[in-house]
Amino acid sequence: MNHFRLWALFASLACTMNGTALAAGDKAAILQRGAHVATEVCNACHSLKYLKYSDFLKLGFTKQQVDVMRGDRNMGDPLIAQMAPGDALAAFGIVPPDLSLMAKAREGGVGYIDSMITGFYTAANGNTDNHVFPGIKMPDILGISQADPTSRKALLVKAEDVSTFLGWAADPMAESRENLGYAVMAYVFVLTVLLYLLKRKIWKRLE
Amino acid sequence: MKKMIAWIDARFPLTHFIKHELTDYPTPRNLSYWWGFGFLAGFVLVIQLVTGIFLAMHYKADSNLAFDSVQHIMRDVNYGWLIRYLHSTGASAFFAVIYIHMARTLYYGSYRRPRELLWWTGQGLLLLMMATAFMGYLLPWGQMSYWGATVITNLFSATPIIGDQIVIWLRGGFAVDDPTLTRFFSMHYLFPFLISAAAVIHLIALHTVRSSNPSGLNLSDKDNIPFHPYFTIKDLFGLGVFMLVYFGIVFFDPELVIDVTNNIPANPMQTPADIVPEWYFLPFYAILRAVPDLIGGVVAMALSVLIFAALPYLDRSRISGGAIYRPVYRTMFYVFIVDIFVLGYVGAHPPESVLKVVGEVATAIYFSTFLLLPFLSRWEEGYLLKRGLPVEVMEMTQKEIEEAR
Repeated sequence: MNHFRLWALFASLACTMNGTALAAGDKAAILQRGAHVATEVCNACHSLKYLKYSDFLKLGFTKQQVDVMRGDRNMGDPLIAQMAPGDALAAFGIVPPDLSLMAKAREGGVGYIDSMITGFYTAANGNTDNHVFPGIKMPDILGISQADPTSRKALLVKAEDVSTFLGWAADPMAESRENLGYAVMAYVFVLTVLLYLLKRKIWKRLE
Repeated sequence: MKKMIAWIDARFPLTHFIKHELTDYPTPRNLSYWWGFGFLAGFVLVIQLVTGIFLAMHYKADSNLAFDSVQHIMRDVNYGWLIRYLHSTGASAFFAVIYIHMARTLYYGSYRRPRELLWWTGQGLLLLMMATAFMGYLLPWGQMSYWGATVITNLFSATPIIGDQIVIWLRGGFAVDDPTLTRFFSMHYLFPFLISAAAVIHLIALHTVRSSNPSGLNLSDKDNIPFHPYFTIKDLFGLGVFMLVYFGIVFFDPELVIDVTNNIPANPMQTPADIVPEWYFLPFYAILRAVPDLIGGVVAMALSVLIFAALPYLDRSRISGGAIYRPVYRTMFYVFIVDIFVLGYVGAHPPESVLKVVGEVATAIYFSTFLLLPFLSRWEEGYLLKRGLPVEVMEMTQKEIEEAR
């Protein structure tokens, strides 16, 4: 069980209350930037098979933009990896895992992905390793272990963008779910109050 | 309309049934909200049945398609995510409600004479629920689904002589695979109907012996009130509170009750670092692991569930009212509840060093609660009588009271 989730919920509620939560426009921009990283970088080796190219329209991309992203693939096609699984196996010794559910499949979710892709460092023996996932077979694709302080800053933003995007990819219905949730909760709350008042009224007959 | 009902009543006891079992059904007026959880359990059963039927329309019970079909439900089916989260959260809600229902029975001694059969039918319901939940958990075909089913079916190898054959028979092969998935799906669809039938039997038993009440005394007729409208409205208000919690999880944190590892497709070649069952099985899982030997562990785990059936005979006190008039029993109740939470914590973590010892001690406390009950309940009865407990709260004859003193 993920013990962070409930705290994350409280934290996000707290942020909403102080107005520090991201404005909707910022979030949309982050997701669009993250989508570019995911399709241009991650998707080279990893599949995101539960996403279809048409899903990008939901992120506010225009049809023309999605046409560029999908190349010769169809709008309804899933995002299978650009590299054939056999080639990936030969290159890395492992078929890179599908990323569409990754943000739900690791303890810590989006935060885990962010820490992992920025966790690369150059070990004493000159090899690149990862703080979060020692012995990982994935190369330091963002080049974070080689980055100088200025370029590192831009890479951290890039990592956060793509992690946030993967969080969306794992749970694209989250926004509509929560929106419906507020309506349902308000309805049930009013109903419960009314039921309580009615209960009091009916039980008064016994006195 | 009146004519039509009369026509039916001449052939079927419709009005009689509604009057005697629903509207006018005599119910103790002092029932607290703790008595509302049986109704909630019935409500959750209906949620599970309805959402389950709709999930089955889109789910594919095939080891190559099952995991993908769940994502199809989550992403492509209209409100599929809602149906699935209602169902997955509903499973946890069902156990939460039933465990509270059972805790109320324990606290108020509702299992005692004449409600033994009512208690046992409830036990049967719990076992059916556990089997249903276990089989349903395989269906998403995630890593925890697969390895949980592997571990639990493997427990049957503890059966003497034919153990290995039973495991193969349950799985439909040497390992958990497609045949296991299809048979679990079939049984997972069947069992809820058995549960519904068992729930009707539970209700028939209830309506024969009537509800217990917080005082533990048999109330005179003037203290009973008709179920409708008093308890229909009370239960409905309870339902409102329940729905606030339930929908809160469904809409705002539905993955709370789904292990992250189960969002990875089943992989027979890779065992997860830690195989953990769902929260509602954790205390029993801790008991299983507390006994080092496989057969011993399985027997202990089975006993830990089945031993509740012996309670009407283990509790030898003739003082009414469960825990309210009985300080020793009350203390035992709270120790037992805390012990279950400790076992739950131990079950969720790898059994290493201190936790291993804690698990063993908690298991010992779990069983000694039951084993000490016959002696402590009798001793407590004598002690309270000597201290001048009013005779009215006892189900004893004058002669028995003299003897006990």
